[in-house]
Amino acid sequence: MSADSKTSLVLVSLSVAFVALAALFQSELFGKPKLPAEVPLASAVVTNTGTIRFSANDLIKAEGDVSGMDCYACHEEGKEIKLPIDENGVVVLPKEHADLIFGRRNCAACHDESEAVEIKWDDDGNVILPEFHKDLVIRHGRNNRNNGCFNCHVNDKLNELQTRNGERLKLTESTRLCASCHGPTYSDWEAGIHGRTSGYWNRELGEVSRKECTSCHDPHAPIFPSLKPAPKPHALHAKAEAEATVDDEQEH
Amino acid sequence: MQKRKRKQPWTTNRNTRIMPIEPPKRYRDLPSPTAAHDSGISRRSFLRASAGLAASVAGIAAALTPLRDLDEFPSVEEFLQKHYKELGKEEMDEVLDRISGEVERQYGIRPHLRDLKPMNGVEFVYALNLTRCIGCRKCVHACVAENNQSRSPEIQYIRVLKMPNGTLDVERSQHDYAPATVPEKGFYYMPVQCHQCKNPPCVKVCPVKATWQEADGITVIDYNWCIGCRYCEAACPYWARRFNFAKPSIPKEKINPNMSYLGNRPRPKGVVEKCHFCIQRTRAGKYPACLEVCPTGSRKFGNILDPDSEVSYILKNKRVFVLKEEVGTSPRFFYYFDI
Repeated sequence: MSADSKTSLVLVSLSVAFVALAALFQSELFGKPKLPAEVPLASAVVTNTGTIRFSANDLIKAEGDVSGMDCYACHEEGKEIKLPIDENGVVVLPKEHADLIFGRRNCAACHDESEAVEIKWDDDGNVILPEFHKDLVIRHGRNNRNNGCFNCHVNDKLNELQTRNGERLKLTESTRLCASCHGPTYSDWEAGIHGRTSGYWNRELGEVSRKECTSCHDPHAPIFPSLKPAPKPHALHAKAEAEATVDDEQEH
Repeated sequence: MQKRKRKQPWTTNRNTRIMPIEPPKRYRDLPSPTAAHDSGISRRSFLRASAGLAASVAGIAAALTPLRDLDEFPSVEEFLQKHYKELGKEEMDEVLDRISGEVERQYGIRPHLRDLKPMNGVEFVYALNLTRCIGCRKCVHACVAENNQSRSPEIQYIRVLKMPNGTLDVERSQHDYAPATVPEKGFYYMPVQCHQCKNPPCVKVCPVKATWQEADGITVIDYNWCIGCRYCEAACPYWARRFNFAKPSIPKEKINPNMSYLGNRPRPKGVVEKCHFCIQRTRAGKYPACLEVCPTGSRKFGNILDPDSEVSYILKNKRVFVLKEEVGTSPRFFYYFDI
């Protein structure tokens, strides 16, 4: 084969290859790369800066409607209350106070307005709490050791609080009551380390707003409740995302 | 007496002779350039030349095919824009005005776009309480909303790692946990984002100086200068940088109009972005968005040069550590425990 015909052969085959490739790209015969599915927008709830509960303290300070908190609608003023105690020495909570914790939860901190919440009742007409809300029980202290109402409330003056050394406090001064036992946490809170802070880090440019203990901790069950986590990250590649979704479906 | 030689025209004054140069033998037999005109182009050479031409045109066309998907060309001003540090006050104002116009055209809202400068005597530090974090990921989404990150494909600056109790090994962590409720028993949660290192590897590797450390400790990116080589993404030991593989998609109603040039203005396709401590908030004295939304108050932020600040208290009084201390980045992001 002469050098001339070799050159022609190479040139012709190269042209054919390039023309074929160009045609393939143009006609998208290989198909376009598969794009990941549209990621759904996260609910506005996850960017809600509200606290997880409404405290009586906040309600009174905001001059809200506190008529539901009138102890003397049922109890007689100045009269001592005998606590019913079971054989294990644990206080039996009267039915009237069963909503003590649930009633103060800020549902909007986790649930979206558009989200339908299905409520189920048992045969006695009581709401069946989903597994998710089972942590809502009176439990101050991990070992049921501080469940006596009158460790904090005053027995014969129900809308007042008292520390263990007898100091009387108003409902709005609950933070000092907490401080009377939880010293180190209180000093952290005073320094701005414990609890929520919002507003301005630069105090010259604006104000900082602090929350008090009961805005996040329920005094009757102070451990921070479990929350529904916000959506997990989505994979960037369609294949990885499809695999992750399959894994999730298998788990549930 | 020797007869005087007649001076030859090719001799020089120094009497050195220059020989006329003959062309090398192999060229001698070639027809002169004018010969082609006499014989015309042969059929073969014409076909060969056309095939070559067609091949090169087709090859170029094939190589340029991806350009069909290119719909946005930068304007001349954008193309000729100087580096951030070389922009004067008036030039910067023009740039801000131009970008505001682009945002308005694209999202239908005139942004409050500023170029906030570092404050004197301020160095930002972040501290995160691992005892309190419950892994609810609210910070992740508050960050996305504040910083105009792409929703689809998804770009998130914060990654919350679920770690088994008693370990500190990111290799064993999980970031795609999705239980009904958090925290889960036996695990703790460690959110990771840009650590704003004092010795940032990402800045060292940038070939075009599109990313640098500012006086207040924030490592920033000029999205107009970034060439998208992703070296910084590879250099970061904290997996803090994200690349815009596609044009970011942000619903119009979700745009945060409070913008900063080096911060949360909408990014083009093909640039790198990352956490900048909410520069548009923090340089105006506010706390970052991830801190504001945290339901447990695990996140603390402030000026480390102020001895009365919250972060100073934490560094003085708490057991503090930094992630991957051994890589020598000296982060400005601290983790601590308080029980």
